Amino acid sequence: MPHPVYVPCVNINDDIVLIVDVTVSAGDTVKAGDMIAEVETDKAVIPVEAEQDGYVLKILCDVEERVKVGAVMMWIGDSPDEQVPEPASKNPDEVSSRTNSQLPTAKARALLDKHKLDVVQIPHQGERLTARDIEAFIAGQGGTAGGVTAAQVDSPQSFEEQLPGTPGSLRSLSAEEQGMVSTVIWHRDHAVAAYLEMAYDQQAWNDYAAAFAERHKFMLSPLLPLMAYRLVKLARDRPGINTTLVNGQKYLYDQVNLGFTVQVGETLYLTVVQQADAMDDRQFIDALGEVQRHAMAKKLRPEESKDATLGFSSMARWNVSRHVPVLAPYTALMVAHSAPQKGGQSAVLGASYDHRILSGHDVANVLQALTQPPEVQ
Amino acid sequence: MDRIPGFDADVAGRPLIGLEPENLYAYGDLIRRTEQLILTQFGRGLVSGTTHTCLGQELCQMSVVRALTHPQDVVLSNHRNHGHFLSYSGEFTGLVAEVMGREAGVCGGHGGSQHLAYRHFHSNGVQGGMSGIGVGLGLARKLDDSESIVVVILGDGTLGQGLLYESMNLASIWDTPVLFVVENNGIAQTTDTTGTIGGSIDARGKAFGLSAWHFDDADPQLFVQVEQAVKEVRHNHRPGFLVIDTKRLGPHSKGDDLRLESEKQAISQRDPLIALGQRLPEQTRLAIEELNQAFIREVEAAATASPEAGFADPPRHIFSGTDKEPECPETTSFVTGQGENVRTHLNRALHHLLESSDKTIVLGEDLHDPYGGAFKVTAGLSSKFSGRVLSTPISEAGITGVTIGLAVAGFRPVMEVMFADFLTLCMDQLYNHAVKFPGIFRDVDVPLVIRAPSGGGRGYGPTHSQSPENIFTSIPGLTVVFGSHRHDVAGLLVNATNEWRYPVLFLEHKLLYAQIQGPGEFVPLDTHADDLAAHLFPTLIKRCNGPDVTILTYGGMLPLVEKVAGYLEKEEELEVEIVVPALLSPLPKASLIAHVGDSPRLAIVEEAHDDYGVGAEILASLMEAGFAGRAVRIGTPPVPISSARSLESQILPSEERIINEILRLFE
Repeated sequence: MPHPVYVPCVNINDDIVLIVDVTVSAGDTVKAGDMIAEVETDKAVIPVEAEQDGYVLKILCDVEERVKVGAVMMWIGDSPDEQVPEPASKNPDEVSSRTNSQLPTAKARALLDKHKLDVVQIPHQGERLTARDIEAFIAGQGGTAGGVTAAQVDSPQSFEEQLPGTPGSLRSLSAEEQGMVSTVIWHRDHAVAAYLEMAYDQQAWNDYAAAFAERHKFMLSPLLPLMAYRLVKLARDRPGINTTLVNGQKYLYDQVNLGFTVQVGETLYLTVVQQADAMDDRQFIDALGEVQRHAMAKKLRPEESKDATLGFSSMARWNVSRHVPVLAPYTALMVAHSAPQKGGQSAVLGASYDHRILSGHDVANVLQALTQPPEVQ
Repeated sequence: MDRIPGFDADVAGRPLIGLEPENLYAYGDLIRRTEQLILTQFGRGLVSGTTHTCLGQELCQMSVVRALTHPQDVVLSNHRNHGHFLSYSGEFTGLVAEVMGREAGVCGGHGGSQHLAYRHFHSNGVQGGMSGIGVGLGLARKLDDSESIVVVILGDGTLGQGLLYESMNLASIWDTPVLFVVENNGIAQTTDTTGTIGGSIDARGKAFGLSAWHFDDADPQLFVQVEQAVKEVRHNHRPGFLVIDTKRLGPHSKGDDLRLESEKQAISQRDPLIALGQRLPEQTRLAIEELNQAFIREVEAAATASPEAGFADPPRHIFSGTDKEPECPETTSFVTGQGENVRTHLNRALHHLLESSDKTIVLGEDLHDPYGGAFKVTAGLSSKFSGRVLSTPISEAGITGVTIGLAVAGFRPVMEVMFADFLTLCMDQLYNHAVKFPGIFRDVDVPLVIRAPSGGGRGYGPTHSQSPENIFTSIPGLTVVFGSHRHDVAGLLVNATNEWRYPVLFLEHKLLYAQIQGPGEFVPLDTHADDLAAHLFPTLIKRCNGPDVTILTYGGMLPLVEKVAGYLEKEEELEVEIVVPALLSPLPKASLIAHVGDSPRLAIVEEAHDDYGVGAEILASLMEAGFAGRAVRIGTPPVPISSARSLESQILPSEERIINEILRLFE
């Protein structure tokens, strides 16, 4: 059997010795007491002797190498062709891999934290998510990254941009402008927007609204609020459209917060009626009117402009016959109401929707239901 | 000295007290009147702190000190030192003012009654604490071929103190001219010493081979006898052990005399000073007393007129006095061979230090050739520098005292403690003595270095594996240096020895001795001007491109940290910066804050116990300066270090633990 020759301990305080000479070669025969190597510490050179007769099977150290006391420096066998055991020890300079090697690298985790990204968002090739994966993801997103929870809207700009070369000056965005930027940024990075439209029965809706106004003594037509409320009711019955996509999973809202775009001066407000599904039609119209008055007076309360789960937009006031609205953040559907086309009674209802999570069929069904006021159905 | 009626000064400025009875009586009476004045001032609430008078022991205290004739003779006294001090200095006003905490005090109010430093006179409040220092001062005199001697004066209560016996042994084996004087008054504070001293007092001196004498201060021949003993020590260049029986007339300090009235009465009747006065013609005695009384009134007036001592600017550290700024020499360039290990570099530095100055002394246990020290750092030194490389007895406290004495006497001692664990045996000498000299007495330098192999990783077990720097960095005024294989360790040692005039603890990690020394990718960190001594003991840094984490470490943890950094860079894609101070105290705070303060994550890796540790101090300094990143300390938990290497590796910081702790900063 093979016998190990250990690196000797020359001095109690020296863990490492220098191999000064190896006086045998693999295949040589040796006798017990033969000098087979010399090792040196700062204090002395001492010979290493064979402890038994045999054949040098394998030499595991080199001259001038510094080796650890107690390591195997060579093997001597009783016969020349014995198998030498494989070394069990690894290179002492290498730190062994951790057990948590499925986690993203620490650098990747730092980047995820910095850019407020979630690990499930980022595709990766290797076993672990790396900084390179994240950088590639961010580059693919146009150099920015957004939020990951439905509950927050992140800073619209995650990356430092260069100023344009053309002379100009910077000013901060107003709160309203900031809201618009946030909306659009989310849409660019997170929704896969699609659009479809369907003609609706204008006469039926106008009659319905007029009757409602008569009944409730309204001076202005409540057409648009009533259509929006119809959408709220549809969403209550069809939870699948009151939704968003978070971390690769469908997030179903428990309530309908209706976002209703309002143009005030040069800025766009997404006013929001919270928990609209808990209201009846009259309560909803009053609530929306209240929010709109706050918007006009630029006195929106924080909860009146955030956390929409569903959107409704109209540009009929400007005689726009078709518009493709931008989805509010963390919504999957926004219905667009337009003016009748020139000279006709026919008008269209459109819908922008997040195609990652809603199909054209889903949306067409919603629009179909919206084409008629409730009683007519 | 003051203008004392009837006494002139000798060439060294000390009072000449002749052997004539009227001279002896006059000076003894002055001492007694001074003590009585101090007690009066104490009763008036004018004494700062406490005081210990020598009432009844005046002649005993005078007898040894007045017999010292060489300008370089040293007196090391104790808490009951007024008689010694006045006999040595003649500074009556200075003493009274000092005890009263006034500007005119001989030590400016810094020392008070117990801690006096005046030329070659020193006293300290730790019983027997200066006996080793006395041997060091005596050794310095021997090495300088001086005829001066050292007198170490103790009370019999101090015979219970172990350091004293280490010192007597050291004085004996090295033939140093040290006279140990035991003022045997039979009481230790309030304890009768017949119940605290076993065996014979005289035999103690004889057992160590010291010349021994035993006198009585009531013997009219006392002064002649003592003078003869002092002469013998001086001429024989041998240590002596002199016991003088005496009696304490007053309390230990004030109001703590519990002895029976009958005993006190007997002591009063024995009073050798009164007896000496009664042997004089009455007219002579009365004339002396009248002069003395007038003089003491002047002393009282002068001391009382002196304003209270005060700092213009309270000191923040001991390294600069109001009149003595630290010198700031350039870093010594000390180049040694490439590709050699840390041990060889340190050995070369010691060779260089011994070669370049006769004042360098290397001492410690088992340093002699062919052994060359437990870790072979002193190999070859004793053969080449005979007489200046001293293998000592196993007396860590004693040789620390010797080292202090050598340093105070102008030598540059480099002492080795075989294992850093044993440094606790040196603690009193460092904590109560070495750092107190430059801290209190502005004219006294203590340029000593204590080297100690530190740390574990070798399976040496609980008392041979520790890293005690956390204890020693907390000693106010002790400079603690801990280099690494990336530092120029030889340069650090040379700077510590030659360029820094304060006590230095120089730690060396056992595992680094065999490491090849070289800077690798490390470069010195810019030194901030506010960081004392930082230019002598530079902090190194291995920079990176915008660190994700900074690892701050020192000493023997560095090789481990380098491996960890390699892993984190390779496996975790991190940019890792490594900062390695060599100076642990005074901490180069400003340099560290300037560099590490903005790092997002900081891991401090230390082999010492990290509770109350070096890392805690560094981190606290950074937090105070506004550090806002995440941080972790990685050290040894507060448990003994087991001997089995497999157990030891689970207790000391390991690569795996360091990696895991650092990765937690990314969660």
